[in-house]
Amino acid sequence: MVPSNYYIACSMILFSLGLYCLAAKRNMIRLLIGLEIMINAANLNFIFLSSYVVEGSVHPLAHVFTILSIGIGGCIIALGLVITIYAYRHYGTLDVRELRRLKH
Amino acid sequence: MFTPLLDALILFTFTTPLAGLIGRRVRHEKTAVATYATFALIFSLMLVLVFYSEVLWGVSFLAEHGSALPPEGASLEAGALSMFLATIFLIIGSMASLFSAREIEGESVTGYYTVLLGIITAMIGVVFSGDLFTLFIFWEAMCICSYVLVAFRRERWESIEASFKYLIMSSAGGITILFALSFVYGLTGTLSIPYLSMSLDGSGGNLMVYAALLMLIVGFGLQAGMVPFHMWLPDAHMAAPSSISAVLSGVMVKAGIYGLLKVLLVIFLPLRGSWQTTLTAFAVLTMFVGNLSALPQDDIKRLLAYSTIANSGYILLGIAIGSNRALTGSMFHVLNHALIKALLFLCAGAFIHRTKTRSLSELAGIRRAMPITGAAFIIGVLSLASIPPLNFFWSELTIIRAGVEAGMPSLSFLMILNMVLSSAYCLRMIQAVAVKKETSTSKKAKEVPLQMLLPILLLALLSVIIGVYPDPFQTLAETVAQAISVRA
Repeated sequence: MVPSNYYIACSMILFSLGLYCLAAKRNMIRLLIGLEIMINAANLNFIFLSSYVVEGSVHPLAHVFTILSIGIGGCIIALGLVITIYAYRHYGTLDVRELRRLKH
Repeated sequence: MFTPLLDALILFTFTTPLAGLIGRRVRHEKTAVATYATFALIFSLMLVLVFYSEVLWGVSFLAEHGSALPPEGASLEAGALSMFLATIFLIIGSMASLFSAREIEGESVTGYYTVLLGIITAMIGVVFSGDLFTLFIFWEAMCICSYVLVAFRRERWESIEASFKYLIMSSAGGITILFALSFVYGLTGTLSIPYLSMSLDGSGGNLMVYAALLMLIVGFGLQAGMVPFHMWLPDAHMAAPSSISAVLSGVMVKAGIYGLLKVLLVIFLPLRGSWQTTLTAFAVLTMFVGNLSALPQDDIKRLLAYSTIANSGYILLGIAIGSNRALTGSMFHVLNHALIKALLFLCAGAFIHRTKTRSLSELAGIRRAMPITGAAFIIGVLSLASIPPLNFFWSELTIIRAGVEAGMPSLSFLMILNMVLSSAYCLRMIQAVAVKKETSTSKKAKEVPLQMLLPILLLALLSVIIGVYPDPFQTLAETVAQAISVRA
């Protein structure tokens, strides 16, 4: 059984910070940073909780999974930055409120 | 090593740039790459039909494991459900690949086909994975490929805008899944799907289990177009090239449905009482919002995208009812919706290819200028309106009957109400394309070349065959539905 702990609280706080950032911020790069914070919260939680599966040590599967998910996170952010560059060339701004032309 | 099918597809994906390079030497890059990719997908389809047809009919069960023991390591497994979905993915994928040979122009043809093969491969990886670890990796690969494809026409503002919106929302969904996986792993010490369903059996009442369940529903539901999280879908499906819209709308939504099926009906089956009501509410909301927002649309691709949301709601309703017949209906509807939505998006792509407009009022009367595409489009729309001798009628009837049998006639009534709403916009589409007087744009249109007509005609033929002769397909869907329930 997993005890409630400061680590879970910490990753929860990080996760909600990321969500808040996605909901409230307007700069495209800040949105991507919000995503990155959420990815890190999930990875932290994964490593912490996996240390309870085998007492006293982190299971190798969790290590593999976290490293792969960090890599995937890097891919997503890189792609997001590419799209941001194209958006900047089109609109001349990084404000997402300008990207509202699709709404009907 | 993976399964032979996945091996072949990964090999094809990574050798596509090579085909492009060779093609560039002989100055026929586009022909070479398009032929190679289409051949690869059709070859894989043959591989499925020849070697795995037993698995498809639920006879045998195939599993391959990595080096570690199953509860801890990563594994692949292919049951009837996986093969059923993989076959659909490959059919739609090869049609889209054939169609885009004429649609895609410009420098980056090789990149386009590589990513198209990549998204089909990753989707098949998703349905083949035996544990949530492998599923997550393939899932993110699929998502990354789809962001690239939505933003493929990067010189247009709408592609950039839709892709950024899609990237933010869909990655947030993916991260929510990852967060839920960390809870599930912490609670049980395994991510293997069969072991998880055993380990979670007695864990009702734990707050963390419910948090993980809700997060998984949100994460997978986001990709399935479930309503409070559907905002990206109309934009992304509208801004992508039409053959990609066919892939996204026809099959990628089904990957989300697959994730929900695995999570709800296999892993969290012991907690059915706690998720059934939630999922029903989501499903009803999804149907209504999808159909009602489709009604006033003038943009043909946006209208079709909203109708995808509505149909996703029907499938979710079948899962929420959960009886064997309801699952049969859902699986049958997955097949039918994939075929019809791919057909409609490809027809829309053909119209757009000739007229350069997506507006229904400008496309008025285009049937006279493009008779074959117009006829196929009308067949598809009639099916979407669930007219009896076509394929949608049978699967929707099955879900409605299942609702009545399971003692939830109010749900069946709501679904019938939605079918009436959907036939309203279907009739409007038919009126626009076939009855109204031609505009100056639609008069100038010509019939599209054979490469574009071939996939359209094949898909229209398949949907008519399923409509006239539904028994074998219904039996297949029933086998698949039973395989889900047996595994659970």
